[in-house]
Amino acid sequence: MNSSELQMAILQAQTRRHFLRSIGSGMGSLVFGASLAKYAVASEGHADESNLSFARDATTPLSVLPPQFPAKVRRVIYLHMAGAPSQLELYDYKPELKRLDGQDCPASFLAGKRFAFISGVPKLLGSQYPFKQVGQSGQWISDRLPHIAEHVDDICFIKSMRTDQFNHAPAQLLVQTGNPRLGYASFGSWVLYGLGTENQNLPGFIVLLSGGKSPDGGKQLWGSGFLPSVYQGVQCRSHGEPVLYLNNPPGVDRNLRRTMLDAIDDIDRQTHAEFGNPETVTRIAQYEMAFRMQMDATDAMDINKEPESVRARYGCKPSGADFANNCLVARRLAERGVRFIQLYHWGWDSHGADAKEALNLGFNDRCREVDQPTAALLADLKERGLLEDTLVVWGGEFGRTPMRENRNGQEMKYIGRDHNPGAFTTWLAGGGVKHGITYGQTDEMGYEIVQDPVDIRDLHASMLYMLGFDHHKLTYSFQGLEQKLTSVKPARVIGEILA
Amino acid sequence: MTLWRSPGAGSNRPKLVLLSPILLILALIAFFPPDGKEGAQLAQFIGRFHLPVVHFPIALILLVPVLEVAGRFERFSYLRLSSGFVLGLATMAAIVAAFLGWCLARTGGYSGTLVTQHMWGGITLTVICWLCWMLHGWTTVPNAGKYYAAVLTVGVLLVSWTGYRGGQISQGEDHLTEYMPSALRPAFGLPDNTPLVQATADSFYVARVQPIFTERCVTCHGPTKQKSGLRLDSYGWLMRGGKHGAVVAVGNAQGSDLFRRVTLSPDHDDFMPKGKKQPLSPDQLKLIGLWIGAGASGTLPLSAMKDIPAGNSIATAPIQVSFPEVDPAAVAKAREGLAAAVAKLQSEYPNILDYESRGSADLVLSASLLGPRFGDSDLLAFAPVADHITVADFSRTAITDHAASTIAAMKHVRVLRFGQTKITDATLKALNGCDQLQSLNVYGTGVTAAALPLLEKLPKLEHFYAGQTAISSGSSVPRGLAGKLVL
Repeated sequence: MNSSELQMAILQAQTRRHFLRSIGSGMGSLVFGASLAKYAVASEGHADESNLSFARDATTPLSVLPPQFPAKVRRVIYLHMAGAPSQLELYDYKPELKRLDGQDCPASFLAGKRFAFISGVPKLLGSQYPFKQVGQSGQWISDRLPHIAEHVDDICFIKSMRTDQFNHAPAQLLVQTGNPRLGYASFGSWVLYGLGTENQNLPGFIVLLSGGKSPDGGKQLWGSGFLPSVYQGVQCRSHGEPVLYLNNPPGVDRNLRRTMLDAIDDIDRQTHAEFGNPETVTRIAQYEMAFRMQMDATDAMDINKEPESVRARYGCKPSGADFANNCLVARRLAERGVRFIQLYHWGWDSHGADAKEALNLGFNDRCREVDQPTAALLADLKERGLLEDTLVVWGGEFGRTPMRENRNGQEMKYIGRDHNPGAFTTWLAGGGVKHGITYGQTDEMGYEIVQDPVDIRDLHASMLYMLGFDHHKLTYSFQGLEQKLTSVKPARVIGEILA
Repeated sequence: MTLWRSPGAGSNRPKLVLLSPILLILALIAFFPPDGKEGAQLAQFIGRFHLPVVHFPIALILLVPVLEVAGRFERFSYLRLSSGFVLGLATMAAIVAAFLGWCLARTGGYSGTLVTQHMWGGITLTVICWLCWMLHGWTTVPNAGKYYAAVLTVGVLLVSWTGYRGGQISQGEDHLTEYMPSALRPAFGLPDNTPLVQATADSFYVARVQPIFTERCVTCHGPTKQKSGLRLDSYGWLMRGGKHGAVVAVGNAQGSDLFRRVTLSPDHDDFMPKGKKQPLSPDQLKLIGLWIGAGASGTLPLSAMKDIPAGNSIATAPIQVSFPEVDPAAVAKAREGLAAAVAKLQSEYPNILDYESRGSADLVLSASLLGPRFGDSDLLAFAPVADHITVADFSRTAITDHAASTIAAMKHVRVLRFGQTKITDATLKALNGCDQLQSLNVYGTGVTAAALPLLEKLPKLEHFYAGQTAISSGSSVPRGLAGKLVL
């Protein structure tokens, strides 16, 4: 560590938390300012002795580190349904709500609640689609997901998820970064930081969007926050070059590119020696990865290398940003050792304000878009033995109300539901988790949880456990706090769902 | 001479002429039924008049029996003279109403069972109306009066039924019963219509009381069976009570029928649970009693109750996980004699070999990342650590059966993956000593069903992935592998 790095560390160390901590040890420590600085430097960015070390050579920040304890899960495929799909039309079977369909919502449901759009006294709204019991495990699932229904015995439904966020962007941030505000490290970044990635020729954390609208939470959803930016998710394009300008331009061959990169690396190293900004090292590593990716990324992302039968199974489109294509890419990336693969689908915000987001119209299209590809991904992973150590997660950012949305107190033309942070369903499948089970329970209206509530941080802690970490130990010192994915509130690993 | 013989029978020709619009509407209904789509605005505009117009034929048809019955009395005998005229009017009004109704249904976006029933009710009624009118004047046919009376009776019943269906379409299915007093509802077989009250998630009820009912009562008082009309599978149902009324008297445990029955002597006729079942435990009784005494609330938080017995076991008892502690000294000791070889391999083959965890001396080998760049000769380099490898992934590498002996030396291997490699049954034959093997993957290889009996002998094998091989769902699978083969 050179002097400028030291100075930067000292400046960063003078936070409110350090100040409060130093008060605890008396004025004496203020007098001995030098010793305080030494302490701060020792802790910033590095775990202290009681924690695990994630220190790596600055030039190989993504190198593999073993998990804290033996893990059942080695990689994650996260299917985020942005907009919050209605659990009442998909997974949470509520016959009593169906019976009371069209009746005025009881006052007790409305007292002290905030809604995005519901006003006055809304009507209760039963599920728009029939449910059936399927599989050996006899779980209930709606007829909108006939393909996923074939895999319920591989799935662990958590029907008692809850969040304290009410709008899409913060709720998505909470699901993906453990915090509803900007600036925190995403789940994938934490995993990459903790475990590194086996395939150094591909990003360890890849994000694929399904076209349409980008998630409200924006690119922060796969950002690295306070973690070094080398751990952030890399959003790949679904057609053409997976990463823009990855290929060499005409007239530049690989050798020339290598020579050029060597020169740039030299300059970067000098810059780092002079200013000591760790981001410069990140930049060197990123250039090197891009060079290696030129060979492998295009191949990994090319679904046309798959036989026609496989593409047909997923329901792939010839090209373009499409959830089915992305699911197939996800399997190819999983095979190639990519640690965290995240797919966003969109358009699940079924308020019923227009046909596209109506439960009786557009919602059907959303179901069709994800049902077959999701099921094909599960089946394909299972056949290839990858489901054994891959965790697949399917869910949104909150739930939807058992009441029909009535903007401005008026009955709307299309059928929709408002936001409900109080209860929603997320499901897990694959290594580390019991399958063919349902955890948690909502009331007969599907409105509030009556058994085994699961906060987002509990889900995060459980997933980290499956990946081989105690969520208290996967930490990064920043602004005087041992930052962790589950933040400062106590989180519980849901032992009941662990395989 | 029948009682109902009309005094003034005239020509039937105009009546027969009126049959043609009726047949026309019948054809419209049959060939252009309502399809739920919205149609031309003009037709919709006209169709909307169905609602005001339809009350004319209803009133007129209902007037006919009044005239006929009242006309039987000497004093009002003149009334019967008007019945033919009223019937004629009613028939014409019914034709107009039926046509307007078709317009409305066809173009106003209507469909469904109710609409179909109402529509056929309406057109049948028009036909019946016309038939009454015919029979009314048909003096030459014997017994015409009896037929007339019968058809008129059917018409009156049909007008009520069709009208009710129409009301259901426009006013809602329960427009007549919606505000029926709760006391009357059971007599009509209608469910109680007050929405169920829900207990809150953190309430004493949900945490301590409901689990008792769920464990001991809901088989007879739950979603499948509701003995005495009582359900105990949620707070709402409990508080609604059974067919004999409320079972919980708020604040008064001794006065609550539920509490009385579970605390009776087990040989008492009213005792619950019935049928020589184990009575509720003293703790369970105490919990129920305390809860009723505290106001039988669905919102009272668990934390607000003091001196309560330990909770009843719920379906999923929480499982606390513990995080294994890593003792650096123990780890160093376990890795002694191994660490140097591992470090050497890690520098030669970066990122494909590492310890399974921070606290372990077991190794994970992910050769698949090198793909075709990893071959039999590369694998030889790993021979010194073979005994410590617990997970080995060779998918899509260039290894062949020549590597079999090196792989067989991995005595502690739990997971072996050979997907899309050139290995054959020969490699699997060599695995007979790998008695820790749990998962074996030969997806897309040349492995055949001949290997299956060999694998049966692996004691811990749980999954054998053999998709895209010569092994198919038709292959004969040894009994020991049943349920383990994944295709």
